[in-house]
Amino acid sequence: MELFLYTALFAPLVGSMFAALYSGSPKNIIAGIIPSILLGVSLISSTILLVLVLTTGHTLHVEMMTWMATGDLYIPFGFVVDQISVTMMMVVTLVSTVVHVYAIGYMSHDKAFNRFFAWLSAFVFSMLILVMSDNFAGLFIGWEGVGLCSWGLIGFWYHKESATWAANEAFIMNRIADLGMLIGIFLVFWNTGTLQYDGAFAAMQNLDTDTLTWIGIFLFVGAMGKSAQFPLHTWLADAMEGPTPVSALIHAATMVTAGVYLVVRSNELYALIPNVGLFIASLGAFVAIFAATMALVNRDIKRVIAYSTLSQLGYMFAAAGLGAYWVALFHLMAHAFFKALLFLGGGNVMHAMSDELDPFKMGGLGKAMKGTMILMTLASVALAGIFPLAGFFSKDLILEVAFVDHHFIIYSVLLVTAGLTAFYSFRIIALIFHGEDRHTALGFHPHEAYKFMLWAMAPLAVLAVIAGFLFKGTYFEMITQLLPATEYHVHSAVTYWIMTIGTQAFVIAAIYFAYKKYMSKDIKVPDGTSKMENSFAYKLLINQYYIPYFYEEYLVKPYRELSTVCWEKVDQKIVDASVDGIAKVFYTTGVKTRTMQNGNLSTMLKWMVAGTVALLSLAVVFGLAARYSGEIRLFLSGLGV
Amino acid sequence: MLDHILSILIFFPALAGVLGFVVNKDSIRSYGVAVATIEFVLALWLWFAFDNTVSGMQFMETIALIPTFGINYIVGVDGISMFIIILAAFFTMIGIASLGDTKDIKNMIITLLFLQMTMVGVFVALDAIIFYVFWELSLVPMLYIIGAWGGPLRIYASVKFFLYTFAGSLVMLVGMLFMAYFYYQATGQWSFALLDWYRLILPETFQLWLFVAFFFGFAIKVPMFPFHTWLPYAHGQAPTIGSVILAAILLKMGTYAFIRFSLPLFPDASVYFMYPIAVLAIIMIIYTAMVAYAQKDVKQVVAYSSVSHMGVIILGTFALNVEGISGSIFLMIAHGVVSGALFLLVGVIYDRRHTKMMDQFGGLAHVMPKYATIFGIMMMASVGMPLTINFVGEFLSLLGFYQQSHILTLLAGIAIIVGAIYMLAAYKKMFFGNVTKEENKNLPDVNKRELIALVPLVIITIWLGIYPKPVLGPINTSVESVVQLMHEKSITEEAKKRIPNLLEDITITKTSMKGAH
Amino acid sequence: MEIGLNHYLVLSTILFAIGLVGVMRRKNLLMLFFATEILLNSVNISFAAISHYYGDLTGQMFAFFVIAIAASEVAVGLGLLVVWHKRHNSIDLDKMSTMRG
Repeated sequence: MELFLYTALFAPLVGSMFAALYSGSPKNIIAGIIPSILLGVSLISSTILLVLVLTTGHTLHVEMMTWMATGDLYIPFGFVVDQISVTMMMVVTLVSTVVHVYAIGYMSHDKAFNRFFAWLSAFVFSMLILVMSDNFAGLFIGWEGVGLCSWGLIGFWYHKESATWAANEAFIMNRIADLGMLIGIFLVFWNTGTLQYDGAFAAMQNLDTDTLTWIGIFLFVGAMGKSAQFPLHTWLADAMEGPTPVSALIHAATMVTAGVYLVVRSNELYALIPNVGLFIASLGAFVAIFAATMALVNRDIKRVIAYSTLSQLGYMFAAAGLGAYWVALFHLMAHAFFKALLFLGGGNVMHAMSDELDPFKMGGLGKAMKGTMILMTLASVALAGIFPLAGFFSKDLILEVAFVDHHFIIYSVLLVTAGLTAFYSFRIIALIFHGEDRHTALGFHPHEAYKFMLWAMAPLAVLAVIAGFLFKGTYFEMITQLLPATEYHVHSAVTYWIMTIGTQAFVIAAIYFAYKKYMSKDIKVPDGTSKMENSFAYKLLINQYYIPYFYEEYLVKPYRELSTVCWEKVDQKIVDASVDGIAKVFYTTGVKTRTMQNGNLSTMLKWMVAGTVALLSLAVVFGLAARYSGEIRLFLSGLGV
Repeated sequence: MLDHILSILIFFPALAGVLGFVVNKDSIRSYGVAVATIEFVLALWLWFAFDNTVSGMQFMETIALIPTFGINYIVGVDGISMFIIILAAFFTMIGIASLGDTKDIKNMIITLLFLQMTMVGVFVALDAIIFYVFWELSLVPMLYIIGAWGGPLRIYASVKFFLYTFAGSLVMLVGMLFMAYFYYQATGQWSFALLDWYRLILPETFQLWLFVAFFFGFAIKVPMFPFHTWLPYAHGQAPTIGSVILAAILLKMGTYAFIRFSLPLFPDASVYFMYPIAVLAIIMIIYTAMVAYAQKDVKQVVAYSSVSHMGVIILGTFALNVEGISGSIFLMIAHGVVSGALFLLVGVIYDRRHTKMMDQFGGLAHVMPKYATIFGIMMMASVGMPLTINFVGEFLSLLGFYQQSHILTLLAGIAIIVGAIYMLAAYKKMFFGNVTKEENKNLPDVNKRELIALVPLVIITIWLGIYPKPVLGPINTSVESVVQLMHEKSITEEAKKRIPNLLEDITITKTSMKGAH
Repeated sequence: MEIGLNHYLVLSTILFAIGLVGVMRRKNLLMLFFATEILLNSVNISFAAISHYYGDLTGQMFAFFVIAIAASEVAVGLGLLVVWHKRHNSIDLDKMSTMRG
């Protein structure tokens, strides 16, 4: 069985290295196909492991080799396949296989085709390290590794200023959070003496609540960065500069959910500190609605989907914070399927429209791109949470969790967000595929994507449809062997039905409203004159609550200016100048006293005599002082010294 | 031969350097490479013959010089110094191998060989006077390298480098003389032998004064804030090879000396000064990282980043526990590899464009993809990406210091943020975007000679990042003995508390190891 | 009144002072040599006197050494002086300033 574990883990690495070999040479289709096949292998191995875990309930724990060992610290490269990690492995390998195949078509005209696959497979490898490690240090390797690959992939088209800027922003923001994570890891080590999950969590049961709270907070700060929670959320929308398959894989399905994974993995810790959990849940609910509002008005398909991702991450944290870890993980899985599907569909649209992203310039694309339309609509229905698609089961469960736990504020926030989600999802569907044809006038000639790209998306579509009602039972059986098996049931059946049907009706109404508003013939490409565009709310939302502006003006610029001050003023004018000042004292003394050495023997002899006299008199003075030291002391003491 | 391997390691390059004067100018390069390679092989042999389980000194040699005053030629090596010696031999080798078209190449190679003698000498010396002699001698070849092959401000830079470090080490010399005098007072015999001094327990006030005296010598060498300003000038003016050796090896003398002298000789003073030094280290980390961000010259970015990383090393050293000190020694090696490589990389572009200003570049990734890749790997190593060599050192250093102070470690941890900021910004300016300058359109990518130097560094960076054990193991063994010695020597309550007693810890270690499996 | 040690020492001091003033004031190189000789000999006087006072011959021996060395010094010095005079036709001290710092 270890063989399957290692195959699942290292096949992507081999694929990455294979593609990297070609990175210097022109596009070679092999560099795309081999990594995809290897990812398929990884997927099959993960499936075998899943079946094993599912049927026997056994988990796998291997230790490959020592990484760091010094003093009391011992960190191995250890990997664990249990119910949590096997779920994550399935999600990661499945989505990435689909994305790889899709990308062969999507990137086919890019001259850096080979490099793309090297980075993409490397990402999968890092992500697998992240989810499979059996200790916090290993998690951190994956954590930073996915950050690195995300940097390389956001800035993939490095000739674009916006892309490289976004890449650096993402990396640095993640670094800020990683500091929190690192401190969390240090706390874990010095308080429990180990970084292995099992040892650490076992030792945590005996720690006092204060320490645990700090550990929980610092680890969550790390999670906030990776999962782009407020206030570290701005990088995610900017990360849409990367190629669309990257957005689908990294910034929707896998990497951004790492934070959720961390909280779920540390469930034993967070179970001990419910206050931190409540904070996580509240922040999650806040981010859910906060991101959803920004998605309402945005005029960039990818950014809308990115905000929707952010919002769904908020849902997951809400669930995890309330202690419903298995629900969070379930939503993570379902979300990965339909969100990746949505992104890939967006990629098709983008290709068809020559990289145009403004849905107002599209309209009526449904005729030319039937397949994409069906897939994206399916994904949106799933995202909106309509019965019987995946979103219904996972998202409604989160609502129920909040309701049953009597967190009614969180519940109502999440409920409103569900309506918003449905609205903005179908807003872009309506704008892209339905209504008047607005693109022909602008000179676009859309065409459908390659057949195999659509087929590659098909598995995701199937899963987005069936993942909910088919898997929920089995999944619950499996995951609760490891996670707290809390069933969330609304006590009275009437309440339950009112809630469910009410939610469904609300969501369907939102969809209907979106269609009605955005399919009408009056939709024009906005030009900044309409009344809505000049309203305060619209401006606030389109500028993302002015948060990026705030960061730029009040953090980035001052830092840059302070750096310049540090260099030009402090370093050169103060520190270095004082060193040079000391040197200058000696130098000027030299310059001044060199006149003594005027070369005139007579003058020099006078100096010599003066020196001799001075030294002699000093000798006499000291001699006398030594001789009469007793008297001098007496005299001084008489003076009261 | 193995009995005298350390003397051979010291004097072989110097002798070969003297012989180099009679070698033909055309064959001097191959001669230099051959000598440096033999030296490197000898250093590797030392590693091979080194007994990992012994914590004390190995391959010791003693020759009496001035026995009346206890000045003897004593050399020896342990896990702390061995890898820096190997690193020195390695960098001299690839430095000579990758030398481009230099004027007076013969003088350059001979100077480098002399420099190698002094570097090895510093790290194996176990007698304070011998240590001091090599310490000061190392200034001379570097002065010559900067002064003869440097940029327009070379005279100012080299004189500043020389005088500044020299002034610091004079204070250190006074400290050494006092130390020997105290030893004489305590035992009635003169001795400058370090291992003798280790046995001497000084009262706390004496420790404080001597610590400060030694501190000046070491801190200027490191260089610690606010004594760091000679470094940007030296790096800015030095030729590539000079910067590489300076950053990779010479700076390590300071941090090495902290571990060799300050900690075991003055454990109580080390504890007493731990917080002030940690604060200085944190200023060093954050402040110089900000200064690095403001630079326009890529070499200055790397130079200031060096100072910033040295701050982490200092912090790890003054963690005063095994994790931190091991980490700081490992980080010395890591920083040597990474910053050496970064200076070599800057040299590559300087050879082609004769400028180091970042606004002159832009879009280099289009024209020099291999160069961009190697630079990218080294940059990521420099910002402390896990599975690269730097991460192991930084992680352990910070982890170690966390035991002493939470809040200071949190502040020091900002290193990983600010480090990423200036490095990524510099990388973006140089490599990303479109090629805007006409001169950059047809730049040749890295050639074979440069790859000879760079590829091994990349391999080491990743290899030791994934599998640091061969290096970390011997370091750990020696550091444990240092820490135990410090614990036993310390006299104040505070120091006893801060410096862990490893003998008590053994049981805990075993249980935690069991828990780990 | 008997001539004692103190008288010799006073004489020596006076001579030394004369020599010192000569060294400082004279501009003629030859006169400088004379002044130097006076300085040396004043010391010789005190050497001899103190040696006699303690009954220890070391001081007188030292005086001989000084005389011998002074003689050789004068020989070399005068040789140089003659050469200098031949070259520059003057032995004025103020003209000798090639050692200016």
